Amino acid sequence: MKKVVHFILKLVGKLALVGLIAFVVTFTIYMTNAENKLIYYVVRPLLNKHYDAQVRDRRI
Amino acid sequence: MKATDKLIKAIDKKLERFDPLWQAEHGVGGFRSRYYDKTGVAKYREWRGVKDTFYDYSQWLKNLGSMAMMVGSAPIPCLKGFWEYRWMGSYLGTFMFIDRLFEGYRGYELRIAHMNMHAIVQSLTKKIALVLANDRRFGGGPLTDRMVPMDEVLPPLFMAGFKDLIPVPLQTLPEFIICDIDQHIEPYYIDVAESYGLPADVCSRCAAETGVAIDDAFPIFGKAFLTTNMPCNASEATSMFQRRRIKLPDQPVTMAMIHNEPGAHPYSTGELKNAIAFIEKEYGVKYDWDALFERARHMNEQNLIELEKWDILKTPYSALAGIAETLYRLYSWASVNGQEDYFTETDRKVIKLMRKAYEEKYQPFQGKTRHRAFLWGPSAVYYTDFPTWVQNCWGINIVLNMDSTMGHNMISTDDPEQAIQDLALFSEKAVMRHHAVGGWDNVNAIWEWAKNFNCDMVLFNDNVACKGMNGVHALMEEQARELGFHFIFIEHDLEDSRTVSRQEMRKCVNNYMSVVLGEQPLDPTIVEFDDSAAY
Repeated sequence: MKKVVHFILKLVGKLALVGLIAFVVTFTIYMTNAENKLIYYVVRPLLNKHYDAQVRDRRI
Repeated sequence: MKATDKLIKAIDKKLERFDPLWQAEHGVGGFRSRYYDKTGVAKYREWRGVKDTFYDYSQWLKNLGSMAMMVGSAPIPCLKGFWEYRWMGSYLGTFMFIDRLFEGYRGYELRIAHMNMHAIVQSLTKKIALVLANDRRFGGGPLTDRMVPMDEVLPPLFMAGFKDLIPVPLQTLPEFIICDIDQHIEPYYIDVAESYGLPADVCSRCAAETGVAIDDAFPIFGKAFLTTNMPCNASEATSMFQRRRIKLPDQPVTMAMIHNEPGAHPYSTGELKNAIAFIEKEYGVKYDWDALFERARHMNEQNLIELEKWDILKTPYSALAGIAETLYRLYSWASVNGQEDYFTETDRKVIKLMRKAYEEKYQPFQGKTRHRAFLWGPSAVYYTDFPTWVQNCWGINIVLNMDSTMGHNMISTDDPEQAIQDLALFSEKAVMRHHAVGGWDNVNAIWEWAKNFNCDMVLFNDNVACKGMNGVHALMEEQARELGFHFIFIEHDLEDSRTVSRQEMRKCVNNYMSVVLGEQPLDPTIVEFDDSAAY
C-alpha cells in the first residue's frame, strides 16, 4: 500500500513539474509575443522568398 | 474578500502601468506604445490584469491546440499546402490578427469574443485540413469526389439535403477569410489578375479571386462546381474566370437581384431547385429533405438566438460587441450556415453570458462608449481591426455591422416546398446583398437599422471601386443630415490596402471626430500611426 501511495505521489509530483515547466515555457512565449516575432521576422520572409521563386503557368 | 482576490488585486495594482488602458488614461502611453513601428509586431502581449491576461493566455493555448490538431490530422498535405499556396503562409498571421482584434477587451466582452473566435478557429483549421488532404493538386484523398466546391457567397445550408456530400465554399480559405488576416496577400493576387489584362478599377475582391484562379491557387476537389451571381454582377464575371481555370462542370445559381420584390422569390426558388437537380445528376445522389430539416433546425435556433442578441445589443449592456459580433456572424452565417453543431453550442453559451451581463447592467469597455454606431462595412473593416480601433480611439461602439443582418427568416422543418421557398428568401439576403444590392430600399434601410439599434452614428464604408455604390454617396449624406445622424464615409479599396491605406481610412474618422464634433481621443497614441507593414 505504502509503495502504491509513494508511486502515485511521485507520479503526481512529476506531472506537476512537467505542467509547471510547460506553463513557464508557453506563458513566456505568450507574454513576449515570441511566436509572432519568429513568424514575422524569420518564417514569413523565408516563405515569401520561396513563393516569389515559384513559376506558374498562367495561360488560360 | 478572499485571499486570492486580495492577491490578484495587489498584483493588478503593481502592474497597472503596463495596461494600455491605464497608460492612455494617465497620459503615459497607450495601445500603440508596445508596438515596433510600422510592423504591427508587439514587443510584448497586452497586460489586461491578472484574470483577463490569464484568460487570454488560456484561449491562445486553445487556438494553438486547434492549429496543432490541423497539422496533426493531415501533416503532409498541410506541409504541401504551405509550400504550394502563398495564402497558406498568411494564416501564420492568425495570432497577431486575434491579438489586434481584441485589444482593450476585458471581462465579459473578452470571454464572449474568445468563445466566438475559437469557434471560427476550430472550424477553419478543420476545413483547411479537409481541403488540403483532398486537394487534387496533391493527389487527392478519400473525400475528393464527395466534396462540392461552391461559391462562398452562396449560403450552403440548402446543400445539407445531400447528407453524403460535403459542400465547401471555395473562395473562403484562399481569399475571403485570409484577406482579413493579412492585408498584403490580396494585392499579390490582384497584380496577377491585372498583369493578365484585367482593368485596375474593378472591385478588388473580384480581382483578387480572379488572380487566385489564374495563379492556380484554388485547391481542386469535387466533381462539379456551383457558382453564383452574388453579391453582385461583378461576382458573376469572376465566376467565368474561375470556371475556365478550374474546368469542372458548373451550374450558375443566379439569385434574383431585386430580391425585395415578392415576384422574385419564385424565380430564386427555381434556381435552388435547378442547383439541387444539377448536383443530383453530377454526383449521382438523391436529395434527402429530412437531412436538410435536421440542419435547418440548427440554423433556426442560431437565428432565434441572434434575434435575442439583437434585443440586448439595442441596450448599453451588451457584452457582445464590435468585431467579436461582426466577424463571428459573418463566418458562422456565410461559411457554416447551420452545418456545424459547435456554432449552435457557442451561441447557447454566448447568449447565456450576455443575459448575465445584461442583468448585472454590465457596460463593455469600462463604460467608455461615447457613440453607438451602425456599420456598413465589408472586408476592409476586418484587416484594419476597425471596430476595435474606433472604440479604443474615439469611444465609438460598433453595435452591428451589415453582415450581421443576413438571412434571419425561419426555415420550415417539415414541408419541403415551404422549406425551399424559405431557403430562397434566406439565400437572397446573403453577404453584402442585404444592404448593397437589390434596389434603393435595401440601401436606404440602413437608417431604420441604425434607429432600431439606438445608434446616433452611421459609419458607411465607401468602396472606391464599387460601381454600384458610387452613385449613392451624396444621397446618403443628404439623408443623414435630414435624419440627424452623425455620418462618416470611410473610403477604402476593399482588399487592396495600397489604394487607401489603413491610416487613410482611420483619418476619415479622425477628421470627423476632431473637426466636426470637436472631441478628444480616448487614446492619443492610436490617432495617427503607421502600420503599413503590418499583416
